[in-house]
Amino acid sequence: MDMTELKEYLPLLIPLVIAQFSLLGYTIFHIMRHDSYKHGSRALWLIVALVGMQFIGPVLYFAIGKEEE
Amino acid sequence: MNVLEVKEIKKSFGSKKVLDGVSFSVPENCVFGFIGRNGAGKTTTMRAVLGLLETDGGEIEVCGERVSYGKTPKSGYIGYLPDVPEFYGYMNAREYLTLCGEITGMSRNDLKNRCGELLELVGLDKEKHRIKGYSRGMKQRLGIAQALINRPKLLICDEPTSALDPVGRKDILDIISAAKEQTSVVFSTHILSDVERICGRVAFLEGGRTVFSGSIEEIHERQTDTGLELTLKRTEDAERVLEAFSDMENSGGRLIFKKASDKKAAELMAFLAAQQIPVMRLERHEADLEDMFMEVVGK
Amino acid sequence: MKGFTAFFIKELREMIRTKRMMIILGIFLVVGILSPAMAKLTPELMKMAAEDFTEMGVTVGEIKVTALDSWAQFTKNMPTALIVVIIMMSGIYTSEYARGTLVPLITKGLSRQAVVLSKLAVMLITWSAGAWLCYGVTYFYTEWYWDNNTAKALSFAAFCIWLFGVLMISCIVFFSSLASSGAQVMLGTGAVYIAMTMAGLYSKAKEYLPTRLLDSNPLYRGELLPGDYTKAAVISAAVSAVLILAAMPITKRQMI
Repeated sequence: MDMTELKEYLPLLIPLVIAQFSLLGYTIFHIMRHDSYKHGSRALWLIVALVGMQFIGPVLYFAIGKEEE
Repeated sequence: MNVLEVKEIKKSFGSKKVLDGVSFSVPENCVFGFIGRNGAGKTTTMRAVLGLLETDGGEIEVCGERVSYGKTPKSGYIGYLPDVPEFYGYMNAREYLTLCGEITGMSRNDLKNRCGELLELVGLDKEKHRIKGYSRGMKQRLGIAQALINRPKLLICDEPTSALDPVGRKDILDIISAAKEQTSVVFSTHILSDVERICGRVAFLEGGRTVFSGSIEEIHERQTDTGLELTLKRTEDAERVLEAFSDMENSGGRLIFKKASDKKAAELMAFLAAQQIPVMRLERHEADLEDMFMEVVGK
Repeated sequence: MKGFTAFFIKELREMIRTKRMMIILGIFLVVGILSPAMAKLTPELMKMAAEDFTEMGVTVGEIKVTALDSWAQFTKNMPTALIVVIIMMSGIYTSEYARGTLVPLITKGLSRQAVVLSKLAVMLITWSAGAWLCYGVTYFYTEWYWDNNTAKALSFAAFCIWLFGVLMISCIVFFSSLASSGAQVMLGTGAVYIAMTMAGLYSKAKEYLPTRLLDSNPLYRGELLPGDYTKAAVISAAVSAVLILAAMPITKRQMI
């Protein structure tokens, strides 16, 4: 893939990367700030968030792992 | 008129009879103690009064209005503090009270003043944090505030003090006493000293039945015969005393009259004086709530 | 009505403060970008694969990507995003019943119908905002790279997918009146989806099944017209209404 081609993908890639990384970043921030979870442990959720980083990981955490407020 | 009238309510969960004839009534402006051991059916009774539970029989009236399952008594009659109050952790106290007030249909201005008033009453007026960080005692206090928001005629508290430390307990009891000016209070508990501190009337619940219901004075009247406990200086004198007073019991060096009228007491003292028996201690036993409780639960 | 308004605002606040709204919208945004991105990358991927194929003696011709491919990805990805919404919303009723947070409010005269309806309203708002955000993003990129006019009935196809989501949300409402946990609600809703897909294997029933609403490719290509989806749309809307109406009296039996 040469530079001109890459340039064509940028309008797609930049927002995609920003959206996904902010979702991932927020999830990790949330996991680190809490000590207890509905299910699972901190290590487990960090792994899940990173492995399923596209958005499945964060979603699983917020649906199943996050403690009820 | 009685604010709350409970007549012979019954409830079974499967084959287990939880309530088997609970009756009591609560007059206006009264703090009513609802006493029973854990598992005696206190919470079940309260849930029935609130219309949160279907009863198998009996009648409940709040301010003259029948209560049935699924139909909560008209708003404004009852305020309820559950045993473990659960709130929305993402709100602060004022937001939560506002939500409660809006549901009861209070006007915006009235609600605003009332929130300030109640937060001050329960000592949460300086608290700006969200509820998720609250301690047990703070939640209990917010629980009372939400129960009082629309100035109910009847405040029902389920074990409000059981899980609190002595300071927290005193706070809650003071708040309940203060609330008495405007409303009747029913509160369930197994802590008898709390009842003696603030209640005017009580009901004892045991095995799903009300075994006694009446005022604190009635309890004292019921037990006019007070006990008498005698400790002698020399144990060998005990024989002589027991010979003269056959209904006395020897319990480990102490001589006890289970029930002694004033006349009996005078006779005993005269006997001791005449026989010149040296006495260490002669003590009168005032029957208290605990004796009453032990008596009704048959222990 | 007073109770509904107050509780609805509480629900909205809950969605925002517990960050659920943000996460759901974020996911729809990602899906919205992902669909055209995947279409755009298809020729690159094929080129890479083609090298292997040539070794095997198979030649792959030049692939021309159009708006149709981008929208086909959209149709393929939306159900995934819907599943995310269902997972995140499945406990919306049951967790309140289980924790007892409704007790103080119900004893103040809040009706259970108001609870059922305000939560439904918030779920619908979230799903609608997400679905149409996703549609808008995909539309924008498809216009940028290709030409949206190549595909037909775009907004109608999106409406169909949205309607299917409404049906799934109604399933959440219905199962929540019976179930005691979010997992049970998820199971029930999932079972409905699977049952419909299975029934869709019989071509006779296909036309009437709500799952038909998710089959938008023939619409884009113009092989089917919006009118061909009327039956499935009407049935989905009717079933949704029935589920919600049935949930109201059943919810009264829920112990809170």
